[in-house]
Amino acid sequence: MGKYIVKRLLLMIPTLLGVAVLIFFLMRVVPGDIVELRFAGESAFASKENLDKERVRLGLDQPIWKQFLTWIAGIVRLDFGKSMWTGAPILEEIRLRFALSLQLAIMSTLIAVLLAIPLGVIAALKQDTWVDYLVRIVSIAGLATPSFWLGIVFILGLLIVFKWLPPMVYTPLWVDPWQNLLQLIWPALAVGYRYSAVATRMTRSAMLEVLREDYIRTARAKGLWDKLILSRHALKNAMLPVLTVIALEFAFLMGGLVVTEQVFNLNGLGLLFVEAVAHRDYTLTQALVMLVAFVFIFVNFLVDLAYAWIDPRIRFR
Amino acid sequence: MKRLGVLIAGLVAMALAGPAGAQDTPRFGGELIFAVPSEMPSYDAHRESTFGIVHPMAPHYSTLLRVDPMDRSGSKVVGDLAESWTVARDGRTYTFRLRRGVKFHDGAEFTSRDAKATYDKIAFPPLGVASERKGAYVNVEAIEAPDPYTLVFRLKWPQGSFLSSLASPWNWIYKADILAKDMRWYETHVMGTGPFVFVEHVKGSHWVGKRNPNYWDKGKPYLGGYRALFIKDSAAQVAAIRGERAHIQFRGFSPAERDSLVAALGPKITVQESPWDCVLLVTMNHEKKPFDDKRVRRALTLALDRYQGSQALSKIAIVKEVAGVQVPGTPFATPPAELEKLAGYWRDLIKSRAEARRLLKEAGVPEGFVFTFKNRGVPMPYEPLGVWLIDQWRQVGLNVTQEVAESAKWFADLRGGDFEVAMDAQCGYMVEPDLDLYKFQSGPTSADPRGISDANYTRYKDSVLDELYVKQGRAIDLEERKKYVREFEKRLLDEEVHTMYTLQWHRIIPHNSRVKGWTVTPSHYLNNQLDTVWLAE
Repeated sequence: MGKYIVKRLLLMIPTLLGVAVLIFFLMRVVPGDIVELRFAGESAFASKENLDKERVRLGLDQPIWKQFLTWIAGIVRLDFGKSMWTGAPILEEIRLRFALSLQLAIMSTLIAVLLAIPLGVIAALKQDTWVDYLVRIVSIAGLATPSFWLGIVFILGLLIVFKWLPPMVYTPLWVDPWQNLLQLIWPALAVGYRYSAVATRMTRSAMLEVLREDYIRTARAKGLWDKLILSRHALKNAMLPVLTVIALEFAFLMGGLVVTEQVFNLNGLGLLFVEAVAHRDYTLTQALVMLVAFVFIFVNFLVDLAYAWIDPRIRFR
Repeated sequence: MKRLGVLIAGLVAMALAGPAGAQDTPRFGGELIFAVPSEMPSYDAHRESTFGIVHPMAPHYSTLLRVDPMDRSGSKVVGDLAESWTVARDGRTYTFRLRRGVKFHDGAEFTSRDAKATYDKIAFPPLGVASERKGAYVNVEAIEAPDPYTLVFRLKWPQGSFLSSLASPWNWIYKADILAKDMRWYETHVMGTGPFVFVEHVKGSHWVGKRNPNYWDKGKPYLGGYRALFIKDSAAQVAAIRGERAHIQFRGFSPAERDSLVAALGPKITVQESPWDCVLLVTMNHEKKPFDDKRVRRALTLALDRYQGSQALSKIAIVKEVAGVQVPGTPFATPPAELEKLAGYWRDLIKSRAEARRLLKEAGVPEGFVFTFKNRGVPMPYEPLGVWLIDQWRQVGLNVTQEVAESAKWFADLRGGDFEVAMDAQCGYMVEPDLDLYKFQSGPTSADPRGISDANYTRYKDSVLDELYVKQGRAIDLEERKKYVREFEKRLLDEEVHTMYTLQWHRIIPHNSRVKGWTVTPSHYLNNQLDTVWLAE
């Protein structure tokens, strides 16, 4: 198992390096210039002299290969540099938003898992009954409903019915749990519902497949209790694809909730990402892409470990 | 029907309402909460150009002069840290008497040394220090501080707008000692003499200020503090005001957003509106055929029915007034009767479009001629105005394709001349011809030896226009200056049609009726110190 973990960890390095090369050069290919955006804007007074001065200050006058090597050298030292737009250290920019995005991702995942697994299992067990149809309708509706739209519905509903709006400033959970929940429960529900729809459908189909396996039939033939068959044999084996879906969705939430964050005015990584790209803030965009890539790769790594734990055949292969 | 009734009642209340709180007695205390749709990249207003720095941070600072916070035209200059001033007979020396007893937030006394250091930084920035509006002070020859409470500006030539330029909302007075140690300290720190003291900034979230008990204007500010919430999405801003999580947003809302707030909150909302010193321009690249031909450019402006456009677009977009180069209702604005003589402003649309067709034919532009109009990927008001322009041009036989570029690419293309016809934008921080017309200079600049000024994306050369800019700027007599502004306008928009003004933006501020003592002006960069603002019970 140890060898397997080391091998998987080492595989992360070339993947991250590939992402670094791609994002660095893609950002330079995209037209537009941070200096023009920031200092020219709608102002008539921006002079070429001023803009050139800023380019020099930001190191944009350097040859591209030199900029790349400087950046990679920084990453190796875990120094992502400073945001070109705000001048603040990138780690500080990310730290400010990371807690909110992580908490929202965890809350949404919890909601999704709590909804998806029981519903998926029940739907599979009661296949082609009204229960199954109901679960399918709910989950298809979840797939068809964008979470930001549901967010808008929540906000309008709260405003119209209760004349109340969730707080607009993030309060960390450890400072004031009630205020924190008042703000984050609504986006978590909006995101969690869509997320649960994906997971419900996956749970249902995986369960249906597993329930038709020979070993389930054998367990039944041996006279095992249904509950035991379900929990020990069926559910565990059906969880493999569900785990993948849940993990990938979780990774997506770390930086992918752009519109939902806009709707609820959440100071998260998604909005920071969009602004960094819109501002052509090369350093910040690169760091965020690396972060999201790392989250994806790391979550996949954890899923692989979980696979190996659930299904011993994988670690012995 | 009930909603319609509430909406009508609200709009009537809005029409009857004057500037908030004009007759009421100010109340002390409370926290003003406002939404800010943008956020400052750094804390130094001398180097930035976004209102995202002015709205949350202006309350920490004073300026030498400022625009009267109760003046709706946004053009009346009053003293801030300058108590009084005199102008020498030759119009080249301005002497300011500064207030005594003004303290920085760290307790240090403000003197002329601070004002001089600030203006030296703005007008003569040292190497490596960016000054965004340095170009507005090319006329300043020297700044002197003969004694702690006197500041003298010596100019190279007389300048009618000089006082206005010192009332710039960007020119926050910084502390000389700090600047002497580190010219870039203010990019990351706050230290002013303004009515509110800095408390907290959480990036991407909010900015907080509290009342400065040592503010020089005794009895002010009225508010106990303020909180600026950074809310980028306009629907979220509307929700914040509707849900009373915010009292106001100082930039502006669209007509639909105003109507929804009025319908939802009725008398709890007060609406203030003003022509806005922002305009979208149509820039025709003089280096691309057939737009090098002024007959074609003239035809393009003659095709526009600005009056009907104003009626239709003002219902859905933040544009309204038909205007020339100055905001209607301000001292140098062209009266409507005179404006109607300019190409594209004629009341007789049939004649106007017939002339447009004739000019296109004469210039050899065939019926159905295809060109690309480059627009910016910003919904309001670029999108509706773009659609309107394309439709107007279609009516004189032009077939226009719209290419929408997101902001960074749009800027790059404008600067690089990679367009045929494009939307361009101008937003002034004060209605003043020197500032509003600066963009249209075409003369050689030290920055660009090709002789195209840095913001003149149209890429023309017009020494007559440049000369008129200089003349209006140096005219001290108001009427003489007006005359030159008119001549400039006629040459720019009618004779040469170097560019086209579409419709003036229209600023709509629906705010919680508890907010008093704040008056809308034509610029969203003005009137943000909040010293006169208070919250009713």
